[in-house]
Amino acid sequence: MDITTLLVQSGVNGLVIGMMYALMAIGFTLVFGIMRIVNFAHGEFYMAGAFIAFFTYAQWELPFVATILIAIAVVGIAGAIIEWVLIRPLRTDELTGMIATLGISVVLQNSALMFFGASPRPMPEVVSGLVRMGPVVFSWSRVFVIVAAAFVVGIFWLFMQKSKTGRAMRAVAQDQEAALIQGIDVGRIYPFAFGLSVALAAVAGALMAPVFSVSPFVGTAPMLKAFIVVILGGLGSVPGALLGGLLLGMIESYGATFLGSVVADMLELGLVIAILLVRPSGLMGKKEA
Amino acid sequence: MTILNENAPDAENVGRSVWFRIALIAVACAVAAFIPGLLPNLFYVHIVNLTLLSGIFALSLWVIYSVGQLSLCHAAFAGLGAYISAIISMRLNIPPALSLVLSTLATAALAAALGAVILRLRGVYFVLVTFLFGQMFTLLALNWAGMTNGANGLIGIKAVTLFGISFGPRPMFFYLAFAMFLMVLVFVWALNRSTFGRAFNSIEQNINLAETCGIDTARYQVIAFAIGSGIAGLGGALMAHYIRFISPDTFTFHNSVAYITMLVVGGRSLFWGAVLGAAFLTPLPEFLRDFEGLQHIIYGAIMIVVLRVMPGGLISLPRTLARIGGAK
Repeated sequence: MDITTLLVQSGVNGLVIGMMYALMAIGFTLVFGIMRIVNFAHGEFYMAGAFIAFFTYAQWELPFVATILIAIAVVGIAGAIIEWVLIRPLRTDELTGMIATLGISVVLQNSALMFFGASPRPMPEVVSGLVRMGPVVFSWSRVFVIVAAAFVVGIFWLFMQKSKTGRAMRAVAQDQEAALIQGIDVGRIYPFAFGLSVALAAVAGALMAPVFSVSPFVGTAPMLKAFIVVILGGLGSVPGALLGGLLLGMIESYGATFLGSVVADMLELGLVIAILLVRPSGLMGKKEA
Repeated sequence: MTILNENAPDAENVGRSVWFRIALIAVACAVAAFIPGLLPNLFYVHIVNLTLLSGIFALSLWVIYSVGQLSLCHAAFAGLGAYISAIISMRLNIPPALSLVLSTLATAALAAALGAVILRLRGVYFVLVTFLFGQMFTLLALNWAGMTNGANGLIGIKAVTLFGISFGPRPMFFYLAFAMFLMVLVFVWALNRSTFGRAFNSIEQNINLAETCGIDTARYQVIAFAIGSGIAGLGGALMAHYIRFISPDTFTFHNSVAYITMLVVGGRSLFWGAVLGAAFLTPLPEFLRDFEGLQHIIYGAIMIVVLRVMPGGLISLPRTLARIGGAK
């Protein structure tokens, strides 16, 4: 295999995981920006999305678009309810809210373990076949993940920019009190933002389910990566999450190809700790008072 | 004159409370002496031993919490102590009693070095960086196979021997664990009452105000982080010489979460809360064995429920009950 092939292959792989990280991180950072909560249960919603995809697509054989829509609806509504019932009363300070999400994560993960068992389930691919471009070969399923994720991010961006609710959410993230004065119902924005955030995680889970397998523990690694991405991009910054996700995907893919995955992982963690120390607000975040 | 009079009963009270506590500890020791004999079988002794170790972990986490920082890599420091003690006792043939002390000091020193760098971060940022550090520890323990034997872990770690007595058997280890737990408890209590404790407390309540009052908050935070993590290292080392097997799985993120749960469920405002939380939550999974698979769910649910109904934790229970009963 010559170097161009290697570079292009790694690039495509980097784009696939990068888009997945971006989907995870956008939701994660959205909740942090609006509610000031670090959601340690974010990965469990990814896991939920993966399981929904498995049951609706692999077992009931619904079309994949329906699968994604069901995942968004089910996880989004469940997320809004969880915010309403469990997180809202505990949002008094950052640490308490964070500890609550740790508890939610334990409950969700072990519930999945109890109902579905620990063994990973393989899932059939959504599109099959290979793309050949000269010496470069990659599967259509990878391209599909990239395109679908980009589509979802695009819709999310349009929603945040143009719709009334999206603008209200950005207003609350900027200044909660000022938003309140403008007549925005902050109490309604919270569960909506939380639901939207975890629905994005569910989309990531559903899209990646055919690439990786489906098990109760699949959410942990993407959540860890989402942490890294939001630190990289800046806590609370949505463009930062997109940029950071793609950047991390590329670093990981090329790092693993040329340095080995262990070295790449250690380097990545070291890089993030360095960024936190030198510029805690991340690449695109705003300085906090 | 009046000032003196006002202060006098106070001092007397403090003196009395010190004697009261010493008496309490003496009673606890007397009771503890008979515990291994009273328990029906070795399994119960094992649970009590694990509870004492959890108590050490939770207390040490409380020390860090008392300066207003939540560490998500507490298990990593416990693991660091465990690995250092196990490796130096196996490779360099250092007696485990000495390696316990050395690993505690080494862990504290490493925590101080790390803390000096990362403690300038506050709140969420600190939590995230400690989380990442914990992940790095797990990766290192898994992949530095020459030192840690990778995922297989270290086996055949020597038991602690002191004055010719081996603390390997469970009932014997109980005495060691109890002594260590008591030592940590008294140390944390004394620390809490010292000027350090007052400084920690003021930092936890309002770090900016504390800084304005001339308290070197950065220094005190590093000290608290080093002490807390060092004690965690001691607990980890004790665990290594008790179970006599350690692997990267022994000290993961989930263990860090478990210690935080103990702190939350017991109560975060006082160090007794940490002890209570450990005493309540460590044996709990054993009692939930009938609900196979459900036990972790119940664990997580208890955490959420306690946060929701009893934010002060179990130590606030008497007050909560009194309030429900109509007292003011």
